Amino acid sequence: MKALIATALLALVAAPATAQNITAPPPPIPEGITVEEIKVHGPSLTGNLEGNEVDRQVMVVLPPSYATSPNKRYPVVYYLHGFAIDGKNFYNYMRVPEAVAKNAAEGNEFIVVVPSTLTRMGGSMYSSSVTTGDFRKFIAEDLVQHMDKNYRTIATRGGRGLVGHSMGGYGTWVIGMTYPQVFDSIWAQSACCVSPRTETVESATAMAAVPYEGVDQSGFGMRAGLASAVAWAPNPDNPPFYVDWPIKDGAIDQSVIDRWRANSPLAMVASNVDALRSFDAIGADVGDKDGLVRDDTLIHEELEKFGIAHEWAIYEGTHTDKIGQRFADVVLPFFARHLDR
Amino acid sequence: MFKQLLACAAALAALAAVPVEARTDKIKVHGASLEGNLEGNAPDRDVYVFLPPSYDASANRRYPVVYFLHGYSVGADAYDGLARFQEAVDQAAAAGNELIVVMPDVLTKFKGAMFGASVTTGDFERYVAEDLVGYVDAHYRTIADAQSRGLSGHSMGGYGTLKIAMKYPGIFSSIYAMAPCCLSPSNFTAEQIEQFTAMTPEQVAAAQGFGLAVPATLSAWAPDPKNPPYYVSTGVRDGVVDPLLLARLHANSPLVLLPQYLREMKGLEAIRLEVGDKDFLLQDDTSMHEEFERFGVAHEWQVFEGDHGNRVNARIRSDLLPFFGAHLDK
Repeated sequence: MKALIATALLALVAAPATAQNITAPPPPIPEGITVEEIKVHGPSLTGNLEGNEVDRQVMVVLPPSYATSPNKRYPVVYYLHGFAIDGKNFYNYMRVPEAVAKNAAEGNEFIVVVPSTLTRMGGSMYSSSVTTGDFRKFIAEDLVQHMDKNYRTIATRGGRGLVGHSMGGYGTWVIGMTYPQVFDSIWAQSACCVSPRTETVESATAMAAVPYEGVDQSGFGMRAGLASAVAWAPNPDNPPFYVDWPIKDGAIDQSVIDRWRANSPLAMVASNVDALRSFDAIGADVGDKDGLVRDDTLIHEELEKFGIAHEWAIYEGTHTDKIGQRFADVVLPFFARHLDR
Repeated sequence: MFKQLLACAAALAALAAVPVEARTDKIKVHGASLEGNLEGNAPDRDVYVFLPPSYDASANRRYPVVYFLHGYSVGADAYDGLARFQEAVDQAAAAGNELIVVMPDVLTKFKGAMFGASVTTGDFERYVAEDLVGYVDAHYRTIADAQSRGLSGHSMGGYGTLKIAMKYPGIFSSIYAMAPCCLSPSNFTAEQIEQFTAMTPEQVAAAQGFGLAVPATLSAWAPDPKNPPYYVSTGVRDGVVDPLLLARLHANSPLVLLPQYLREMKGLEAIRLEVGDKDFLLQDDTSMHEEFERFGVAHEWQVFEGDHGNRVNARIRSDLLPFFGAHLDK
């Protein structure tokens, strides 16, 4: 036994330093719930310059009657994870099987799908980039088509919901605006990156100085900045990051900041009003102790300005402490009210 | 009866043998995408349809369609005066290149739609890609397929060509942007915005040329339904323009948008980008060419002798219609 522990410790020490990604223990799986861990091929990701996996890990959670009612079709909720975590650990953390079981017990059965979009920089930003891959299209087309082909889904717009947390909340906004015809209703939990990202000369200089092999050790904030940079200002001619840095000759390169801005949900709303109005329903929420509360309030106000109907809540909580509970108690019931079944 | 039929057929044959003067239709095409716009722009737009000479005589024949978007500050009438499209269509047909050319009028309150998806102007991107294309396919003998549909335009219309190709893939297979404007991100100064907000309604009504380019841009790309009377973002505080206002503009700049829409651009059969060597847009358009190069977007690039407007008529004949003749299926 002692020898085993010693070996395990040695292995841990000997393992190369890995990125500080968030992990969570596997969740309980209530009786009747089926969980499948699958791989989904992403033609939209082929040829990405970062070498991100094209076959993505996806967690699929099936409701209790799926196995016993072979002719029944189900609405599907696509759930996008945040930064510095993969799909499986997010599924673990959110205890998705219990959320599906709880809603099923209330008469609302869904298939919940959690794709992994972890990339070399720690997160896809759900953007369309030659460097990271076109993750918007991966979600809206490759993943949705795979599910519709291989599971008994309600394979129409009316049967699909999109929700995400943090970077996944950002993804929900931008995928929703870019591919409105795919989803019936959307919900953004604690969405990040709503306002245009800015840099100072100091912060941009530090970003451009990160060695490629040192990304994983550069810290959450720096990794998030790097992930944003490669997602929003890719440059196929500038290895190893394949990015246009936001700094040039000691000054901020405004053209790069401009490209970042064009990926900001807050900047995009004014040019995507019809797309947003076309949803059956929109929801957004954030905790009152979340650093993103101000940013998320801004997009709520922008939607108000354009008369885009949506549910909006600021609840007691932080960026992470209530999100699983709210997924089960607020988000899935929201989809139950709106998705076809 | 049989004799009558024969006589009738003979009469028809005689008719077909006479050189038929090609027909120009000037119609109205309703835009569901323009309904309820806050500027009060007409949702029923004037549209020119220039038909090839064989159209009326060949009752079963279908034709490829080239959509042409005109530039800023004037409407479709002025562009037809400049380009004389029917003559160009007839000449192309005589050279074996028969196609229909369609030009919608997009003159708005501020003298140009700027092709935004805006609640203030109306969604002119969708108007072109869906309402107009849908109407033309339903009412004319078109080959109703992307492979036989081209999009083109000059200046503001060249901008619209690039933007609509990005936003609506699968509608057009080849595009031709002649001296496209507005490719770089617009960075209006506080002074420019304040000049506009200080204008009286009489001054707005009397403005000529590019005098309303700032509000036209704002109304298309930075609409604000809560800011009457013009329903555009006009935020300036302590001499500084609201960064979010600029961000909304930037999110409509083709040079900024390109990296997000590479698949759409690479999916086109052919792209032509061109500008005159004395055009004030030479640098901007060259930047677009360089960005296409950098991201591996195949395209034809030409710098021709000329300024911003003096070669429109000639280029339509020498290059634009032959380009579509070479790329659209017939």
